[in-house]
Parts: sequence; structure tokens; C-alpha cells
Amino acid sequence: MTDALIETHGLTKTYGSFGALNGLDLGVMSGEIYGLLGPNGAGKTTTLRITAGLIEPTKGKVTVSGFDATKDPLHAKAQIGYVAEIPILYESLTPRELLGFEASVRGLAKDSMNRRVRQLAEAFEVTSAFDTPIATLSMGTKQKVAIIAALLHQPPVLLLDEPLNSLDARSSRILKELLSLHVQRGGAVLFSTHVMEIAQRLCSRIGIIFRGKIVAEGDLNQLRARAGEKDATLEEVFMKLTNEASEVENTVRTLRESFFDDEDR
Amino acid sequence: MKTADAWRLSAIPYSEMAFKSILQNSSNMWWGSFGRGSSEASGQEDLVRRALRIARFDKLVITVFVIAAAGAPFLPQAMGASYGISASVTLSLAVSFALIVLYGVQTLSSFVTSGPSPVLSTLPLMQEDVSLINLLSFVRTSDYLVVGSVACQVFFVSILTSSILSGLFMLLAGAVNSVMGVGVALWLSSVFYRNIMGSKQGKRGGALRLALLLAWGVVVLGIGVLFAGAGYLIPLVQSVLASPDRLTGSILSLVYPFSLGIGVGSIAHGFAPTLVEKFALGAMVVYFLIAVAVSKWSTSSVASFPENASGATRSERTHDASVALHGPVTAYALKDLRAASSNLTSAFLLTLPAFETLIILLMRAFLPTLGTSTVLVAMTLGGMVSLIMPLVLVSTEGTGFDFAKTMPLRMRTIVSSKALITTAVFLPAVAIVYLESLLAKPLTSPFSIMIPLASILAVAAASTLEVRLFLGFAPRGRATFALQEFARMAAGGGVVLLPATIYAVSYIFTFNHAFATGAMFAAASAEMLAVTEFVRHS
Repeated sequence: MTDALIETHGLTKTYGSFGALNGLDLGVMSGEIYGLLGPNGAGKTTTLRITAGLIEPTKGKVTVSGFDATKDPLHAKAQIGYVAEIPILYESLTPRELLGFEASVRGLAKDSMNRRVRQLAEAFEVTSAFDTPIATLSMGTKQKVAIIAALLHQPPVLLLDEPLNSLDARSSRILKELLSLHVQRGGAVLFSTHVMEIAQRLCSRIGIIFRGKIVAEGDLNQLRARAGEKDATLEEVFMKLTNEASEVENTVRTLRESFFDDEDR
Repeated sequence: MKTADAWRLSAIPYSEMAFKSILQNSSNMWWGSFGRGSSEASGQEDLVRRALRIARFDKLVITVFVIAAAGAPFLPQAMGASYGISASVTLSLAVSFALIVLYGVQTLSSFVTSGPSPVLSTLPLMQEDVSLINLLSFVRTSDYLVVGSVACQVFFVSILTSSILSGLFMLLAGAVNSVMGVGVALWLSSVFYRNIMGSKQGKRGGALRLALLLAWGVVVLGIGVLFAGAGYLIPLVQSVLASPDRLTGSILSLVYPFSLGIGVGSIAHGFAPTLVEKFALGAMVVYFLIAVAVSKWSTSSVASFPENASGATRSERTHDASVALHGPVTAYALKDLRAASSNLTSAFLLTLPAFETLIILLMRAFLPTLGTSTVLVAMTLGGMVSLIMPLVLVSTEGTGFDFAKTMPLRMRTIVSSKALITTAVFLPAVAIVYLESLLAKPLTSPFSIMIPLASILAVAAASTLEVRLFLGFAPRGRATFALQEFARMAAGGGVVLLPATIYAVSYIFTFNHAFATGAMFAAASAEMLAVTEFVRHS
């Protein structure tokens, strides 16, 4: 018996002949922020969407708090708060209507839920937009509404897909604090990003995903050891482990030559 | 920039605008739903594909429909009917005006909320060139419709009157009519999407939305009445125009689009206009001037959209962040209703069964009593029309459906909520039949009073089945997607038709209304039970 709140075993997702995930195994423990780090198209979003129950895996298994996400989706989803990379919300509703809808469907208790909504809305400064259709809000405000929706029912598991992308500095700071509090209370966070600094500062453990597989995981020191680069930054470790260092160098060289050629002309 | 170059370039912002308008109002994508797999119903990629498909074919399909509708009022004369041409021209102008408005509102939503193409403003183009491209993109929204309908009207008038001058007057009347139609569509879109969608939802916004919906309903009901009653309307209008009662004729000659119809008709008679025709020709000049003003307003509005659009929304501050709670089914139904009422097209579909029933009753207005067959036909057709709602409600989900999918929601909660809305949408039709029987006409059989109740059960069963089929089962075989989607709607239609058929067959064999009504009730109840079991176990 493990205390992992999220576990995936041999997770595979194919679209035709393209393999988005190729037998991905990972575990996120209680009290842990796990950063899923990888280039575009590596399979980060697919992993999160399968875990959230939005798509089904072609093969393999995901459990959330012990519930099989495919066989017992209702119980699994009750444990999850999910923030997508591009906020997925009913855009013709106002934040008030959307959060009321979510709270009703989840069967939350009115008083405590309303207290939480008010606190979160004030913290993320969205109270003034509560009666404005979501379609007309800025991307940052939509992101804040999506974050409030994910936190509303105080789920033990948070799945966050690049959640800091559109947030201002204040809201980013608040979210990071909330995540720390969340894991201190025994929750787990699976966090996808391609920003090295965020992963380095926020995550207790990092999994490097490349071509649909975890190629390395651990804290920064473990990853450095794996890459054989003692004082390397996470970016350098990442490049080494994904074999992208030489390819990036070649690309930069080509671009440089191309730009110089243009200037000559 | 040359106008020809601007015209060529305007094709790209126009396509983008049409695509965005359709994507923005996913409930408008209900007909594009055919041919998609339910398993990927909410996927962004699927929605984009559907929107592209609709954007590509929508204008073409609507143009064919508009040309047919504009030409239909001339057919009786083409087939030898003896009355004058004024009524046909009037009817043709009314229908094409309403259809241009209907289509324009759907296409212009993205135009009025974000401008035709914000990208244009970032390119090194002169502001005048950007404005010209914007204007031509706007022209493209209805170019086929306008050219097609006006050409059709000019063709028929020229042929039927054998007068080139009449044809030229028809060209002028058609141009005035089209400019007015496009102007009204632009105004309606601006008011609805900018002032209502873009601001705080308050009582004022709600009242305005209701007023717009009613105005919209009148337009659509008008089209329905024009189509349903064309055969009666043309001779009726023509007899009013030909009657010696000068007052009625004079009033009609000033009313749009009668004045245009009478004006065009007067030219066909030669150069000796009657007093009524003189009034109509005078009114035609006034409407021409109004059309010029509308055209200037539309042009200046469109040219300034890039600047206006960015400030299209205004948010009003609120200080209370509390939310209201409901049961899951009610919450889901409320969410669907809010989403569906946020655009004119889907909002009006909510009232369509009532309008359909009203049209059927109007068509039988000449009968002194409300016969069982009328009640049965009105309820069955009203029920069938209601069954468009499941597809609209499923389409309205759009990309937001992913939000619902992350929640611990049972399939039957979603199915029940959408079936509840569909059944509720049918209820006003039932109320209209009861009101007609109570206030205007007695029922021929007292047992007919039970028919609407059995129909409610049948509609509830049919909508439950249809929603479940749309949400839950992916069609197999890409080539037959569309057929399978139609089959799902047909399954719902069959559930509504079956109790009515059982009533008819029972009555034919027994001549007993009580027995036939009982059989209909039993059939509808059995359907409801069977569908409930199916949803529970599937």
C-alpha cells in the first residue's frame, strides 16, 4: 500500500499512428508538488487530461486517491481540482453563475462554500467581475476564475496545467502560497510547466517527460546526478536528459547565420 | 489601395469573421453537428472543424434558400394566376428582408464584438485601406444573399410584366430592401452582443434581452406566417389593394414593404398611377432616402469597428461574491438555459414549438371549433419541433463541456436536465392549445383535453432518448456519421409520433375518442418507462 494520491501505470495514448503517451509511469505522494517538465508536445497536457477524466487512455491505468479514473470516474473526479492551460469555462456564464453551477453539482454546503468563494474572489481580485460574462474577461481573469473553481471544493488532488501563464505577479504569489498550504495539509499537486525557474523553485520533485515517457525524475540534485552535471541549472539538466542540447545549438547557429546573411543583403 | 485589391484581401478577414462568429455561438453549430462523432463532441478540434465546415457552406446553403423564398411568391402568377404583381413583390421583399436579418445577426456577432480582423490593424496599412477592407468584409457577409434574391426578384418582375422599367424599379426596391435588412441585422447584433453580452447582467439587461427576443420572434414568426399562408396572403393583399376602400389602400401604401410592392406594381400598369399608387411611389422615395441614411450609418459603423470593438465591453463593479445553490439537475438546466439565451438564434429556438403551434392554429382559424385532429396535429408537430432542442443544447455545451466533464456528474443528470428543458420548451405550446379551447373555440370532443398531456409524456420520453443517444454513443464509420446523427433525431421523432399514430389507428377502428385517448396515454407512458430504464442501464 502506497500513500501516492496520483499513480499512473503504463499510461499510453495514441492518436492514429502518433503516440502522445508511451507507457508513462509516475506517482505523486501526499504532501508533494510534482512538476511535470517537458517540451511542447511531450505529453504533459495529455497526462493531466487523462488524470482529470477528460480523455480515456488507450492503455494503462490512473488512480486518484485510490480510485481508478476510468472505472470509477465519479469518485476520482470528486478528489480533483483541475486548471487547464487555456481556461475551460462556460464563457456565456458569469463567474457567479459558473461557480454556483459547480458548487450545486458538487453538492457543497452553502455557508462554508460562500465563505470560501468570497475569500478566494477577494484574494484573486475578481469580485468586481463576478457579474460579467466570462467571454468578455481578460485571459488572466479567466485563469483566476478557473483556479477558484478548482479550489472551491478543497480537493486533495490539484492538477494544474501551466497555471501561472496568464497570472499577474500578485496572483502568482498567492497561488504558490496556496499550493504550499495545500501540500502541508496532505494534498498533492501535479503541476505541468516548461518554465525551468518555476519548476526549480516550486516543486518538491520533478519528472522530465519526453516523447510521452518520464525520462528522469527526482529533486534537482538527483536530476543533476542523473545527467552527470554537478552544478548545472535545471535548464542544462533538462537539455542533457532530453538530448536537445546539440540540436538547440545547431538551430541557433543556423538562425544566426541566416540573420547575418539577411543583413549582408 | 485599389478597390479590387481590397476586395480580394477582404476574403480572408471575412472567412475569419464567419468562422469566429460560428465558433463563438456554438449553439448555431447544431446543423454542423451532423457528421461528428459524439465521443469527441466537446473537443476543441472537433468544434473548430465543425465551425469551418459551416462557415464554408452556410452562406451558400442560405443563399439557395433565400433565392427560393424570394422567388416563391411569384410562382402563382408564373403559373397563370390572374391577379396583379404588387402582393407578390411585397411578400418576396418581406421574406428576403427577414432572411437577410436572420442570417446577418448570426454572422455579424464576431464583427461587432471584435471587429473583422484585429490582425489588419497591426499590418503596415493606411487606416483608409483597413477601413475599406473592413467594409468589404462586411459586404461579403450578405453579398450572395442580396445579389441572389434581388436578381431573382428582377428576373420574375421583368418576365411577368414584360417591362424593363418595372424590372429597374424592382432592382431599386430590392436594393433598398437589402440595405435595410443588412442595417437592421447590424443594429440588432450591436445592441444584443455589445450592450447585453458585454456588460453586467442586470434587470435592465434582462428586459432588453426579452424585448430583443420578442422582436426576433416576430421576425421569425413573420417568416413562418408568410411561408405557411402565402397561398392565402397574396390574393388577400391583392384584393385589399384592388378594393374601392381607399383608406386601407392608402395606409398600406405607406407601410414598408407594401409601398415598394405597390410602387413596382404601379409601373407595370403604365404611367397612370392611382392615388394609392402615387402615395406608394412617394413613400418609396422616402424609403430610398432612409436606405441611403442606413447605408451611411452601416458604412461608418463598420469602418470604425477596429477602434469601437476593443472598447465593446464594459464591466460594472460588484462587491458581493456569494453564489446561489440548486440541485444538480436544476443547476445544469439553469446553466443550459443561460447559455442558450445568450444568443438570439438559440434563444429563439426555445420559443419555436409555441410559434409552430400558433401557426398551425392560425392556419385553421377559419374553423368554428377546435377539432381533435387539429389538437393532435398541433401537439405532434409542436413536439417534433421541440426535438431540435436536444441537439441545440448538446451543441451549446461547446468547449465548456470539458469543465462539466471534470466534475463528478452522472450521465443521467445531464440527460435529465436537457430533457427537462426540452419538455419545458414544449409546455407553452400546450398552454396555447388549452387557451384556444377555453377562450376561443370549444373542443369537438371532451377527451381531446387529454391529448396535450399525453404529448407532454411523449416529448419527455423522446427528448430523454435523443439526449442520451447524442451524448453517449459514438457513430461508427466516418462516411455514415451524418446518417447516424439523423437516425438519432428520427428515433426521438418516432417516439413523439407513435402515441399520435396509436390514437389515430385506435379511433379509426373503434370510433371511440375515450378509447383512442386511453391508448395514446398508455403508449406515451410505456415509452417514458422504457426510456427511463434504457437511460438507467446504459
